[in-house]
Amino acid sequence: MIHKSRVAAGAAALTAMVLLAGCTSTQATSLTGSTSTAKVEPLVLYAAEAYDANMGKAFTAKTGIPVKVVDDSTGPLLTKIAAEKNNPQWSLFWADGDTAFSSLDQQGELLSYKPNAPWNAVGKAIVPSDNSYIPTGTTVMAALIYNSAKTTSVPTTYDDLATSAYTGKVGMNDPSQSGPTYPFIAGVMNQLGGQSAGVSDGEAYFTKLKSNGLKVYPTNGDTLHALETGQINYGLIQSSAATGEVVKVKPTSGYAPKIVYLPKSTLLPSVIGIDKAIDKTQQTEAKQFVDYALSPEGQKVMQGADLAGDSLFWPIVDNSTALTQLPAFPADYQRIDPTFWGPLQAQVVTWFDSNIK
Amino acid sequence: MVELTRVSANSGASRSRVRSAVPTTAGVVGTAARSLLSRFGAILIRINPFTLFWLLIVAILILPIVLFLAVAFSPRLLDQGTEWFTLSAFAQAVNGQLLLGLLHSLVIGVTTAVASAAVGFLLSWVVLRTNAPGRRIWTGVVFALLLTPSYLIALGWERLVEPNGVLQVLGWDPIWLRDVIYGPVGIVIVLTVKGIPFAFLAISNAMRGLGHEFEDAARVHGGGRIASLRIVLSLLAPAVWSALAIVFAESVSDFGVASTLANDAHFPVATYSLYNAVQAFPVNFPVASAVSWVLLILVVLALLAQSRALRGRSFRVLGGRSRPVLRVQLSRGAKVLCTLALFILLVISLGVPTFGAISASLIDGLGSLAGTHQWTLDNYQRVIVSPDLSQPLLFSAELAAITATVTLVLAVVCARLLANKGGSFGGRILDLVLLAAVALPGIVFAAGYIFAYNLPLTNTLGIHLYGTTALLVLAYLATALPSTSRVLVGTMSQIQESMSHAARVHGNGAIRSWLSIVLPVTARPMLSAWLLTYTATLLELPVSQLLAPPGSLPISVGITSTLAKYDFGGGTAMEVLAILSALAVVGVAYLLFKLIAPAGWRRIGRSA
Repeated sequence: MIHKSRVAAGAAALTAMVLLAGCTSTQATSLTGSTSTAKVEPLVLYAAEAYDANMGKAFTAKTGIPVKVVDDSTGPLLTKIAAEKNNPQWSLFWADGDTAFSSLDQQGELLSYKPNAPWNAVGKAIVPSDNSYIPTGTTVMAALIYNSAKTTSVPTTYDDLATSAYTGKVGMNDPSQSGPTYPFIAGVMNQLGGQSAGVSDGEAYFTKLKSNGLKVYPTNGDTLHALETGQINYGLIQSSAATGEVVKVKPTSGYAPKIVYLPKSTLLPSVIGIDKAIDKTQQTEAKQFVDYALSPEGQKVMQGADLAGDSLFWPIVDNSTALTQLPAFPADYQRIDPTFWGPLQAQVVTWFDSNIK
Repeated sequence: MVELTRVSANSGASRSRVRSAVPTTAGVVGTAARSLLSRFGAILIRINPFTLFWLLIVAILILPIVLFLAVAFSPRLLDQGTEWFTLSAFAQAVNGQLLLGLLHSLVIGVTTAVASAAVGFLLSWVVLRTNAPGRRIWTGVVFALLLTPSYLIALGWERLVEPNGVLQVLGWDPIWLRDVIYGPVGIVIVLTVKGIPFAFLAISNAMRGLGHEFEDAARVHGGGRIASLRIVLSLLAPAVWSALAIVFAESVSDFGVASTLANDAHFPVATYSLYNAVQAFPVNFPVASAVSWVLLILVVLALLAQSRALRGRSFRVLGGRSRPVLRVQLSRGAKVLCTLALFILLVISLGVPTFGAISASLIDGLGSLAGTHQWTLDNYQRVIVSPDLSQPLLFSAELAAITATVTLVLAVVCARLLANKGGSFGGRILDLVLLAAVALPGIVFAAGYIFAYNLPLTNTLGIHLYGTTALLVLAYLATALPSTSRVLVGTMSQIQESMSHAARVHGNGAIRSWLSIVLPVTARPMLSAWLLTYTATLLELPVSQLLAPPGSLPISVGITSTLAKYDFGGGTAMEVLAILSALAVVGVAYLLFKLIAPAGWRRIGRSA
């Protein structure tokens, strides 16, 4: 019995040491934070963009403001932000899709900021009226990527995909696992039924696709793999992933991916939100960061980080041009209202899971 | 045995003599008070370490779990809703799909647990008790399996059997196999493969401590092979049940395997509703918490089964005189059969994920219409020089080593408590908490940590634990403790207390007698427990994702985000290199044990 308690004491002591070491290191950080040049505080950037780390470094190099990046997928970051709700630890959150930001705004978590940016037409369509979050570029959902070596039929509308020429040959992502896929489904619902008719027309459409042999894969990567192996000839995925595939692949006689955009393309902007709870110093710094992301210099950094993925966005400010690998921006596009479609996400995803998948 | 009992009886007598001598000298009230005080002090010192131990368990396990579970009833408590008390989360969560998912999870959990324990038992027996060829590689294989992420196992199967997959390209369309793998059976196979290492480590540790005398006794009394096998099996019951419980809980908490392999098989598991609630926006923690309550029902069922099976029996077989085992000399036919079975197991367990890794990182576009189909080391050359690999890997390795060391010490205490015959109240609570921590998906557990350690109140008090490496290590500790304790339960329930008592009577202090008696007979299981924790922590994902301090990147998060950016080749190459680094640690550790550990430490489990 006695030796057990000694072991327990040892265990407790060891853990206490770990704890102490941790606390000491925290203290050290906060000390350096407060003693170094009076008004600089590190920004904490939660981000799910391939260019986030590069942007953090470039911003620090330019302004001297340190940026601590927490880079992860959107899902875990949202979980983290929600769990921190009563004591937020992030200064900025940067991810694709504005529905989550609209919801954060409704919960009063975002600081409004109106940057002095030369928005182009698409940019103007995306910027929210209350300036609660700031778009920095956009992709669209969905790009239809198809294997031109295996098929000559190219659809021109979403309805075409439900016809016999496409039976068993179309694939898309699972909205419960792929972040950009709910905006796509919501976009189709918005286009077919609109906000007045709600989800029913869209549900009927996906049910038709399903009876025409629609296949559902977990994420962009899996849908692309199905295309590469010939399990499908058409995949509905995010525009940056589709363009990245076309850039990477050397066309052969068996596989030559090409992209079309069916009307309408739903905008899927990359968006920054500023945490309302941060102090004045950080607020000023966070706004500087946003300005930097919208500046020609910042846009260049974003475009240079991931040439086969996230860097393939269309700029929404006039002082930046799209990478040459990207085609012209799809002419027929729509923005879906995140305050309407955001709250429907859980319902629609559950419906999709039990009826389409 | 008789000698030892007599000695401990003597020791009791001598202690009571000492005690009775104290009051006679106490004539004055002040002296009595002093003696009372010193006795109180002594009691305090004796109790304190355990109080501290429990405080720690409360801090790292109970508090985060309880807070997370509280959100189902009281969303307002942690700012997750407006109501202080409500049952609406349960009304939202409990529906037909969740109940169906629960049933699926139960079936998957039980099947996986039984299959892993059976394979783990047979494997332990073949490795420790027979002269089957190739048995020595299995310790390495088991650690490799432990390290293999389930996504690589699932990926391997997919690449093999998918339409136009590698098998079909090679000329065989595996239609029936595809239907089997892309569904419940596939989930069970992948999770069983992931469960085998736990089962093998738990059972083989205990089997090492089981001398050959019991089988001899059975044979002497006319029992056949079957009878002696029955005796071995029942003496190893604590370890077997540990294996069953831990694999069951791990399988019940799975989400990744079911969602990738059976994505379109219409086979919802209980965790599906939970992930849907926490990974979509707005994040609905109350519903996730309500689902967690339902998962806890499964854990309680598992523990009830375990305690019914082990009630009122003693398994203390590990003494100083455990006899070396005799290896069964297999006949030539048996050797061939055994080798064949081991080979099939190796192919299914390690071959498939290795193939997955090769197809993803070594052969360009294997099985697909795209790519050159050439062997290439590009991915490896690219990541090996990248700071995206080396810095996170070093960071994670350092944390894994610290975690493994502290966990080992705590796990020894936990395992002793769990192994107590009859089960004390504290032991039962600990059992429940440890298993609950496994059955709740990691992301829930990590969210509980944020709830507990990011309270505005604690910050006001000047405690800033959230966002520090210290909290990440504590959470790793809490994540590793359940499995590590369970792997040691088998061994700890075998130790005969009488040996330590004898050492104490002969004048050894508590620490010295522990070092000279308990450590030698448990050294090897403890080494394997350390390595288990190290390897499991190195690539731990959900806790790392939610609790890593801003600015430092654990390797698992780095790999996941590389994979998420469609860099399958680079991500898998990083994964393979991380696994190889951990296997090197395992190899060096066992080598050092062989070279440095005193001969006596290596005696347990030796064969004659």
